[in-house]
This record gives sequence, structure tokens and C-alpha cells, in this order.
Amino acid sequence: MKITAIIIFLFFLIIQPLFAAKVKVDPSEFGVEGGNACVDCHFKTSAGLAEQWKKSRHGQLGMNCLDCHQAKTEDSDAIEHEGFTIATIVSPKDCGRCHVTEYQQNSSSVHANAVSLISKRLPAMAQNLGGKAIVAAGCDQCHGSVVKVKGDGTLDKATWPNSGIGRVNPDGSKGSCSSCHGRHEFSKAQARDPSSCMRCHSGPDSPDRAIFEASKHGMAFAANKDKMNLDADSWVAGKDYTSGPTCVTCHMGAAGKLPPNHDVGLRNSWNLNTVVSERQQLVIFEDGDKMDLPESQEAPDPGTETTKIDGTLGTVKMVIPPDRRRKAMSVVCLECHGKSFVSSFMEQFDSVVELYNAKFGKPAQAIMEALYDKELLTPTPFDEAIEFTYWELWHDEGTRARHGAAMASPNHTWWEGMYLVARNFYSKFLPQVKEIAGKEAEALIQKHVKSDTENHGWMDQPNKLSPILGYGNSKPDGK
Amino acid sequence: MRWPAFLNLKTIGLLLTGGIAGAVFILVLIEFDHATSSEAFCTSCHSMEIVAEPYRQSVHYSPTSGVRASCGDCHVSRGLISATWDHVLGTKDLLKQLFGADYDNPVVNLVHAPDAAFKAREWFRKTDSDTCLRCHVLDAIKGSRADTLKVHQEEAEGKSCIDCHINLVHRKVPGKKVFKRDAWNRMVEEEFGLEAGMAEKIRQGLVAAPQL
Repeated sequence: MKITAIIIFLFFLIIQPLFAAKVKVDPSEFGVEGGNACVDCHFKTSAGLAEQWKKSRHGQLGMNCLDCHQAKTEDSDAIEHEGFTIATIVSPKDCGRCHVTEYQQNSSSVHANAVSLISKRLPAMAQNLGGKAIVAAGCDQCHGSVVKVKGDGTLDKATWPNSGIGRVNPDGSKGSCSSCHGRHEFSKAQARDPSSCMRCHSGPDSPDRAIFEASKHGMAFAANKDKMNLDADSWVAGKDYTSGPTCVTCHMGAAGKLPPNHDVGLRNSWNLNTVVSERQQLVIFEDGDKMDLPESQEAPDPGTETTKIDGTLGTVKMVIPPDRRRKAMSVVCLECHGKSFVSSFMEQFDSVVELYNAKFGKPAQAIMEALYDKELLTPTPFDEAIEFTYWELWHDEGTRARHGAAMASPNHTWWEGMYLVARNFYSKFLPQVKEIAGKEAEALIQKHVKSDTENHGWMDQPNKLSPILGYGNSKPDGK
Repeated sequence: MRWPAFLNLKTIGLLLTGGIAGAVFILVLIEFDHATSSEAFCTSCHSMEIVAEPYRQSVHYSPTSGVRASCGDCHVSRGLISATWDHVLGTKDLLKQLFGADYDNPVVNLVHAPDAAFKAREWFRKTDSDTCLRCHVLDAIKGSRADTLKVHQEEAEGKSCIDCHINLVHRKVPGKKVFKRDAWNRMVEEEFGLEAGMAEKIRQGLVAAPQL
């Protein structure tokens, strides 16, 4: 079964075109009648966006406002605007009228599912720590809002404006193309520039901005941006540009025989934003939807039904194992690096993730579970200090360490990452455990931490000298 | 010169009386139209008080210039005959207020609001937004942004004010073409905490609206 899946997957990779799918709609169909009247007014009332449109490829091909903003009267968000029936929101489904492949690929991606993916995390963040105002201006601006059209035809202010990548649109489609392809110019160069990812991929839970900038890849990009050919039609790594990769290069871009793909998570073999990282399989459903499935969970057989990210049932078409996803990512690396360089780098990366898992992620998770089970903690999230300690340990610091290793920033792997995890674990988390669990603490720590002598054995050697802290430097042989 | 035979004292008396009566009638009519176009008169029905609330928040109520448009300034035609005719037609609203649904109830008022809005817009379209011209002169529309002037000079030809300017004063109602009764009803139910399906029943008069 696995073999078939692999063959199908490879076939699937090869049959794809090498660069952005060609739009098949004939240009003679561009330029909906009446749409030019919009422009007359909008050059006056909103000259900025009209100018952007005019400069854009869309504008130059003769597409006008109505090509994208047209709506049917029955559409839930249709409005009457100066005699035209239009919609404010141009959803991925609208873009997909021409950009068919990109729409299909993106719709099933982790990006498009960014709302469902945090449905378990959001309530605690939104209700306990933040509030509705934060959801609208914070969380939803990256993850996407569930846009609500009110009965009077207006868009609920709590849900719009919004360019979150997983936005649930009034037409039911998921995502927001303008999240990366800023309207109304939709510049290729802008979408390929790391800055378009960094609006969201920065900060504690996705510290990729800082990591990329501190990595050799970021260094190469910054120094050679003008050689990156960012607005070329064809943008294949190793062919159309060689100076360095951007986020898009590795996660979506074309490289060698690897076709580009608007599913940003396709090449990710690990999940790096969980308490304990797991390699992840990719479940592909008959209807084109996809879902990551941790390796520890059994892959569903093709033809069987399983629950999708959004909670609905879907029929499984095939399951791609994590190593195939790694292979796809490695194809990108190989455009500039040697085979053993790539595999050794990947091993260094994997080792950091495995070290984090074994040394901190798993023990912390097990101890927290025990504290909840023993009712030493209330299940309510964030009403006890240790819950913040634990959250920051894996969600902030642990993520930074793992992403740092994935994207080759030594500083974020250690000082900004695993060092902070360790400091938190030994100087904050364990002392808090002792405070909460009292007499039971020692047994808990023994069972989940100290029993791992390879990683934590040093704690039981209290008399070791510490030249690093300046004590014992002068004592010969540590006596 | 001789007076014509029919101009005796009696006819002159009659003509004078008729003339004065006519003049008084016209004066009364003017006063009547004036009085019945005022906000105070219109909102003497509670249902209109609900409609007036958003108006009082609008620019038409408190423009920087201080020129306040009263109900009749927009909703009653210019010219005495047309104004009187509008008021004659307006008695239909009075009858509905007295014998129709309980428009004083905010829920009933809101479920029927779209129909009122559509009718009002239709009237503005039919009259070519004539009452807007009571105050607004196209050539004089400058606005505070440069584009306001340009749009009104270059894009307004052949258009009536109402073609672009809806939802200025009263509660927002979608255009008729895109209006969805279901969505509107859901909004009403949400706003007043009603069970699903209630708004439509209230609209059809099948159940009484809750007293709020």
C-alpha cells in the first residue's frame, strides 16, 4: 500500500508544471462590461489602490474591478454599489476562477486551515488571557476570522477587515490570497520576499523572521536581494536564481524537478509547534483536502473514512509517510548543496528535535498530566503560574529551539531556544512542581526526569566544580 | 364706463368671499403641509420615533453648517400641490399605524424596515431625488476631499442622488436586489434574543412580538 502511495505521490509531483500554473482563461474574457466605470470613480476616491491595480499584471491584461469583485445577487455578501452587484471580499474561490491550481493547492493546506487548527488553543487565549478585541486585531489577523455578514448586508466589524491566511469567507472558501499577495498590485516579487511571511511568522510561536534573518540563508538573501530575480515569471531555484533561498523557495517554490506548490506545509516532515514534536504523515482525501497525522497514529487505509481538520468526515485517498515529505524538502536543498551535506544537516536538525522531546518536552508533559490527574492543578488553563511556565517552555522557547535548528540559526537553536528551555525547566518549572506537589514532587521528578540519567544525571552530582561560574578554578582535580 | 350687468353687489360679495376663502385655504394648506412635515409631527407616532433615532445620529440632523433637514424636507415633495398630495397618500401610513401591525414595537418595526426602505428609495428614484435638491446643488458639492468635487462633476451625469447615496440617514438596509429576508430576520432575532424563525412569524403577523 505504502509503495503505491509513494509511486502516486511521485507521479503527482512530476506531472505538475514547473512553475506557477498558467491561467487558462482566455484574456478576451477579461474586462467585465461596466467594470471600467468603477475605475473612473476609484481613481478619484481611492487613487492609491486604483494606481496599484493599473500597474499590476491584472490591470495590464485588461482586467477591471468587476473581474474579481463581481457577485451574484444571491451571494450572501453581495452588495449593491453604484448600480453594480459586487462583493467587498474577493475570496480564494473568486481568485480560483482563473488561478485554479493555486486555489486547489492552497485550500487544503495548513494555511487555509489556520482557523480550525487553533480551535483548541484559541478559547483559553481569547477568553482567559485576551478578549474579543484581541481576537479581532490579534489572533484573527494572522489565523483568519470567520467573516460574518450581518442581515443588513454589512460585514461584522469583529470579523472584517481581515487578511488572515485561514479566513473563512462568506462563500465558504477558506483562506485569503491577499494575506501574501498584497492587494491591489499582487506583485510576485512581494509575495516571494520573506517580508510577506514575516507579518505573521515572527514572535514567540513562529519566530521564523528572526531565525531566517540570522541564518546563512537570510544572510545570503539580504546581501543578494537584487540578484534574486524576484519578479521573474519563472522562478525555479538553481535556474532562475541561485543567491539564496527565501521562505517560498523551500516551502512552496520550484526547485529542480520539484514543482511549486501552494500547499505550504507539504514538505514539512515534523510538527514543531506542539509540546512534543512528532513526524507527520500527510493524509490526502478524495475531495482534495489534506491533513497532517502524527506518526504515532495509525495511517487510515485508502477508501476508509476519517475525521478531517474541520471535524467533518472525509474518504482517504492516500497517506504520504513523513520521509517522503522530507525527501521533497531535500530536493530543494540539493539544488545548492551536496547529498551528504543535506542528509547530515537534516540529521543535526532531527537530533535537536529529538533531544528537545526526550529531555524537556516529554518529561514536562508527563509531569503536568500527573499534576492535573492528582488534582494539584485545576484544569482551567492559565489560572496557575506553572501553566504559563509550561506553555512558554514548549510553545515559545521550545518552538524557537526547534525552528532554529530547522532553519539553521545557531543562536536561536541554543541561546534563544534550547538554553531558555533548559533555564525554564531547571530553574522555574521543576521548582514550581516542587512547590505544588510537595512531598509527591520528588517521586514525580525521579520518575520523569532523573531516571533519564543521560540527560539529567548531572543534577545528582552536586559536588562537581563549576569553572563556568568561576568556582573551583583554582582547585586542582576538582577536589 | 358701465359695470357689466352681472357684477352686482351680490356677485362681488361672493367673489370676494370666495377669494378670501381660497386664500385662507391656501394659507391653511401651507401651514398644514409645514406642520405635518416637521419632525415633531412625524414622531408623534412612536413607530416613527424608532425610525428617527438613527436620523438624529446622522449628518442630515447635525451637519457642521447647522442646516437641519427635517423629515418632510426629504420625504415630502416640493410645491404645494405635490406636498399636499404626498400628505394625502400619507394617510395610508396613518391608517396602517392605527389598524395595521404594531409598528410601535421595535421588533415589528425592524422586520418591516426593509420594505419601508425599498419604498422610500423607489420614491426618491421616481422623483429623481428632487427633494435632495432643496438644499444640494450639484455644482456646489465640493466636499472636504478633492475627489468629492471631481466625482460629482465627472461621474454624476445622468445619475440621481439616490443611485449612489443610500443608507445615509436611517438604519442600514441592503439594496433590494441583494436583500436576503432570511439574513435580515436572523439579524433581528439575534438583536432581540428571539428564537430562530420568530422574526418571520412576527412579520407575517402569526405571533405577537414580545413586549420590550
